[in-house]
Amino acid sequence: MISPWEFPSTRRAFLGRTAAGLGSIALGSLLNPRLFAGEKNSQWQGTINPLHHAPKARRVIYLYQAGGPSHLETFDYKPKLAEMTGKPMPDSFTKGQQIAQLQGKELKCFAPQFEFKRFGKSGQEICSLFPRIGEIADEICIVRSMHTEQINHDPAHTLMNTGSIIAGRPSMGSWLLYGLGAETEELPGFVVLMSSGKGGQMQPIAARQWHSGFLPSRFQGVKFQSKGDPVLYIKNPPGVSPQSQKEVIDVVNNLNRLQHDAVHDPEIATRISQYEMAFRMQTSVPNLMDISAEPQNVLDLYGAKPGDGSFASNCLLARRLAERGVRFIQLYHRDWDHHDDVKKDIPLKAEEVDRASAALVQDLKQRGMLDDTLVVWGGEFGRTPMAQGKGRDHHIKGFSIWMAGGGIKGGVTHGATDDLGYAAVEDPVHVNDFHATMLHLFGIDHNRLTYRFQGRDFRLTDIAGKVITPILV
Amino acid sequence: MFKRILALFGLAAAFFPATTTPAGPLTTTNSVRFNRDVRPIFSENCYACHGPDKNARKAKLRLDSPEDPFADHEGTIPIIPGKPDESELWTRISSADPEEVMPPPKPGKKLTPQQIQTLREWIAQGARYEGHWAFSPPARPALPENKNVSWCRNPIDNFILARLEKEALTPSPEADRRTLIRRVCFDLTGLPPEPAQAHAFMQSRDPAAYEKLVDLLLASPHYGERMAVYWLDLVRYADTVGYHGDMTYSVWPFRDYVIQAFNRNLPYDQFTREQLAGDLLPDATREQKVASGYNRLNRISTEGGVQDKEYLAKYAADRVRTTSAIWMGATMGCAECHDHKFDPFKSKDFYRFAAFFADLKEKGFYPDGFSKDDWGPRLMLPSASEEGRLKAADEEIASIRKGMEKIDDADLRSVRDRWEDEVFTADKSGALEWTNQAPITLESSGGSSLEIQTNGSVWVSGKNPDHDDYVVTIPGSLERITGLRLEILKDEALSGNQVARAGVTFMLAEVSIVARDKNRSRQIPISRVLADYAQEGFPALAMLDGNLETGWAQGGGPPKDRRAAFIFDSPLSGGSNTTLTVTLKHGPNFPRQHIGRFRLALTDYNHPGPDKNQIPEDVLKSIRLPHWERKPDQEKVVVKFFRSIAAELQPLQQRLAAAEASRSLVAGKIPFTLVSEHTSARPVRVLPRGNWMDDSGEIVQPGVPQFMRQISRDDGPSTRLDLADWLVAKDNPLTARVFVNRLWRMFFGIGLSRTLDDLGAQGEWPTHPELLDWLAVEFVESGWDIKHMVRLIVTSQAYRQKSETSPTLEERDPFNRLMARQSRLRLDAEAVRDTALLISGLLVDKQGGPSSKPYQPENYYAPLNFPKREYVPDLGEGLYRRGLYTHWQRTFLHPSLLAFDAPSREECTVNRVTSNTPLQALVLLNDITYAEAARALAERILRHGGEAFIDRLDWAFQQALSRHPSSAERNLLEEFYQKQLARFRADFDDAKQLIRVGNAPVANDLPPAELAAWTSVARALLNLHETITRN
Repeated sequence: MISPWEFPSTRRAFLGRTAAGLGSIALGSLLNPRLFAGEKNSQWQGTINPLHHAPKARRVIYLYQAGGPSHLETFDYKPKLAEMTGKPMPDSFTKGQQIAQLQGKELKCFAPQFEFKRFGKSGQEICSLFPRIGEIADEICIVRSMHTEQINHDPAHTLMNTGSIIAGRPSMGSWLLYGLGAETEELPGFVVLMSSGKGGQMQPIAARQWHSGFLPSRFQGVKFQSKGDPVLYIKNPPGVSPQSQKEVIDVVNNLNRLQHDAVHDPEIATRISQYEMAFRMQTSVPNLMDISAEPQNVLDLYGAKPGDGSFASNCLLARRLAERGVRFIQLYHRDWDHHDDVKKDIPLKAEEVDRASAALVQDLKQRGMLDDTLVVWGGEFGRTPMAQGKGRDHHIKGFSIWMAGGGIKGGVTHGATDDLGYAAVEDPVHVNDFHATMLHLFGIDHNRLTYRFQGRDFRLTDIAGKVITPILV
Repeated sequence: MFKRILALFGLAAAFFPATTTPAGPLTTTNSVRFNRDVRPIFSENCYACHGPDKNARKAKLRLDSPEDPFADHEGTIPIIPGKPDESELWTRISSADPEEVMPPPKPGKKLTPQQIQTLREWIAQGARYEGHWAFSPPARPALPENKNVSWCRNPIDNFILARLEKEALTPSPEADRRTLIRRVCFDLTGLPPEPAQAHAFMQSRDPAAYEKLVDLLLASPHYGERMAVYWLDLVRYADTVGYHGDMTYSVWPFRDYVIQAFNRNLPYDQFTREQLAGDLLPDATREQKVASGYNRLNRISTEGGVQDKEYLAKYAADRVRTTSAIWMGATMGCAECHDHKFDPFKSKDFYRFAAFFADLKEKGFYPDGFSKDDWGPRLMLPSASEEGRLKAADEEIASIRKGMEKIDDADLRSVRDRWEDEVFTADKSGALEWTNQAPITLESSGGSSLEIQTNGSVWVSGKNPDHDDYVVTIPGSLERITGLRLEILKDEALSGNQVARAGVTFMLAEVSIVARDKNRSRQIPISRVLADYAQEGFPALAMLDGNLETGWAQGGGPPKDRRAAFIFDSPLSGGSNTTLTVTLKHGPNFPRQHIGRFRLALTDYNHPGPDKNQIPEDVLKSIRLPHWERKPDQEKVVVKFFRSIAAELQPLQQRLAAAEASRSLVAGKIPFTLVSEHTSARPVRVLPRGNWMDDSGEIVQPGVPQFMRQISRDDGPSTRLDLADWLVAKDNPLTARVFVNRLWRMFFGIGLSRTLDDLGAQGEWPTHPELLDWLAVEFVESGWDIKHMVRLIVTSQAYRQKSETSPTLEERDPFNRLMARQSRLRLDAEAVRDTALLISGLLVDKQGGPSSKPYQPENYYAPLNFPKREYVPDLGEGLYRRGLYTHWQRTFLHPSLLAFDAPSREECTVNRVTSNTPLQALVLLNDITYAEAARALAERILRHGGEAFIDRLDWAFQQALSRHPSSAERNLLEEFYQKQLARFRADFDDAKQLIRVGNAPVANDLPPAELAAWTSVARALLNLHETITRN
């Protein structure tokens, strides 16, 4: 595998260099014909060429519900817990297990606070607060047996995004870009959007969550802002018109070309193409962000209002990004940390995300994009079946997410927690397994997407991960 | 042979007995060497199952051992020296049977035919093992023989040339003087040369001009800044805690220590001791204690629900990773959960190493981090004058308190009883409550919009100017007015921690009140201000001192409604014709950190206080009870509170408030930094699989990896100081090699072993092993003299070569490992910024101090919370300081530094990866910093560059690139300039906007269109690849 020091910026430079040989470094996977196909293209085409197997998905839209959504009030119905409400949580469940804010407190069962209903032909059980997601029940696969290792937000987000709790490891979007390259030259291949909710405590989300870690920084996610400039530094300085800016870029590129002719440094060639791409981004981003151009019925479908920075608007933007070839689109809704009052807070969140999440899946479907777009909905952990006042504490032993499209079977519920919703007991899915599955859908064997760092071939799935085959189409 | 090798494992005399001759040349010869040729194959393909980790070992075979492969393994012998065909290893690696072949196909490893052949030859030649090169102490090798002796300026060149001659390559000619001075200036100071300096050097005929230049640069204070960038990446220095809320903490004095250490050329061994154990040194100086802050630079957490034990384990692991990476180039972090897969680090070694740091006073969960900025042991760093003023204030406070004690509670009893009766009655009738006053008129000096809300509060929105004062008039209809209360109300919509319009706190500098009735107006004298809370350094009383630089603030802790009561000197008679005009002034040093929601209220109660009912709720609660029903505590609360309002104590109380306020003003300014503090060591256990909840592992004592020389100490456990001494012991095989290898990276772009982070089994066999060893020995023998090593490298002929490549070289040595030329390197993120600022003349050349806040796009911190915050750029010099002083927000690093590959410093960064991205283009094109630098450069061009276009362009090129433009460049730029000039003449508004970008003074005397067009030319120059490249 190649390592950072020898990571040339362009494929051409890369090939120019590898042609001379790299001694013992294995390059087999890199020297394949697809790399030569688009010689003039300066964009990175990915290291996995050819793919390890036929892919199902080409892009991901990840609706990341930050804070830890309660599985017990969303996708995992536990009537037994209702029966036990107010009673002590049996020691057999909690003994020796990790606990966050309930440390040293009495652990009492706390009933699910809302009804569940069966939806669709598949009859999937979903909390009645989420009727729109209910409408797409036959499209989605609910995984009820997720589990993770980190009980505090910061490291739990890091594990969910990078497969490790040590800072400095690449996020999953960066891995995908590194492995596959992007499908657009006008936009970054990995885009992050963020929205806040009403009523709760907003999760801080570190830039680490979309950082490329030890991978070259070109694979980093780019966060789009809902307030201010959508992309940092996308706007010309005051007094610089688009035409004027174009002239500046042209002259810079022409001067750089003169240098390139004199010294033949491939980095200069790359610099030139990056300025071209920067200019294209400057033109395409404002168009992209302007959702007011969408027909009213589409805006209504999502519940989006142009310029409001809401989760709904971000869902619509996600579709627009997907249409434009962005590989990994991640939306954070950072208001799911419900320690105090589940009954009051979950309906607020349902109002914010239910319609738009479902609309996205429906919209992708009607455009024929759902087949090759993987949609993921979930947070970094779940919440305790035990009460913390009227709320629930962080919980890592079992929680739910759902996925749709991109080679995932619809109308399926996978795995289960125990009767009280405490631990994943049937077909448990670790974060690493989830990552392995995601890569698999892209035609990548997670064992073989590696990068040499600190003397070791690192993977998104660390040293674990198995593909969840039952949920694949 | 084997006997010698066996001595490798576990002997105590030296780190490693020398088992091998110094490494030989890297050219292909028939002789196969274990370290160079075989170990990389084994390590890459075999050690994971047949290596040091006993738990992962298959077939009980270890190939990293010099004995096991020769022993009988259930009837087969893996390796029979000299007889490949009889060796099981050969049978297996050459097998075509997927069931048989090694490595097995499943994990995806596969040997190339060439590797298989190498192993065959190695067995045929006797299968000789060697100890891992980097674990044997370096010996100074003899200088190689060279043909072209005259090329060599110092021993470095002998080694470089020997290799080139072996490869039949010739070194490149010396770079021209322009390239040379730019290269060495960038490399030693992180800045390009000043044009005059470059000119003088290019013209000089002094044969020692270059050496003199190097000496000058090494003596420049910028040398320390440049070297510090590299060190700060390693130690992961930053200004924030890194987890969750990522609050700011104060460790910048450590950064300044590092800069100064490099500038004074503190020997590396001492540098090491001071950082790891400055606090343990005998008679530790203040500086050494600051240095010990090294141990406190790891990320720390105050997230709710964090368990001490878990996070102490995280911090411990972080320190092992970082310390072993910095000094040993070792990846000991891998041994947290299991024995290392490639190197002989046992899991137990990991925890023994962690135990060195178990004496640090620290917490896993910092409960008061957010609320009180308490992140563990800190060292206050007062100046002599501050110390004096603090002492004087303390003495005064003590003497006032003494005076107050003379007034006995018993003597106050009767007055207090009367007061209590009054309060009791007033409380019952609700007369204690403040009366809110909805404003009649509202004004903002800075143009923000003030609106009255239904609850009588004022909501500030719209534009948020740097400076803003509010003038609010309220009715003064109470018959008698004794005081005014200002409430600062929190609101989720306020981006400054919910209490201010920006930043994390408001800062209210001055408050004044003018009363008006029919025919007169007068300023109301205020005797006291009582606030529910004030940040240290920002006492409420400072709102009355007439000084706009001091004021009242709440700090960056959890947001709360804040209240301040202004007590009038004497009661004012109000009425329907009376109004009060309240002026609220914000401080100029706290731009945009203005209050965003507030409310004013009046009272006629005799002893106004900030609370809802004037008197604190717990005092009122007691007063509502008859004396005989009060518990002693409750009685005490009343007695204590009464003392604060008793007329007898008033003069003293006022003096005390004044003394405390002045103390706070001094104390709040005193810098401090987190430091190491020794306490009794926590027991450290081996954590099975790294699981912090598992207490079944044995308790270990501090110790270094067991396969290396042990620290001998018989009077108790080894300390951090012992660890430091061990690291810099003469026979430590790693420390010097690791350091010089990284120095090489700084000056050639790649290490002699490219794996700067790993000199273990997976590390790269150096391209010039003898040179690496020679440098390492030289470093130690020079007394760990860093400047000496830097000088040696940059004065070598190898360093001075041209960087241009050639088709031959591109083919033979595409990564420039043989150094037949110099490398072309993009500047570090900080240097990209510094270069633009220097060229434009904006750079503020100030060393050290609190971190600066240059321009940053708005809302960039929106994803942060606890506190919610809006970045406020500095107004003055902070905008123009060098990049290394930029506020380093770990979870949201400044985006223009981030774009140019600066690391977040959440973890130790050994090697910055250089990328080339569109975001970099956007930064150089559109970041205010660069646009402003361009217009400042344009102004200089017009003022100093002569009159003709050609002269001006030439002048500009000298500033930016130390050279003349070529005719092709001139033509391109002239045409470009004319087009831009036409544009700006046609659109004058555009021109006027562009030449005002940023905070630097505007050149109003220059013609705007011309200045704007030259700004465009300057933008082009600042965006050139050449400008941000060191050749």
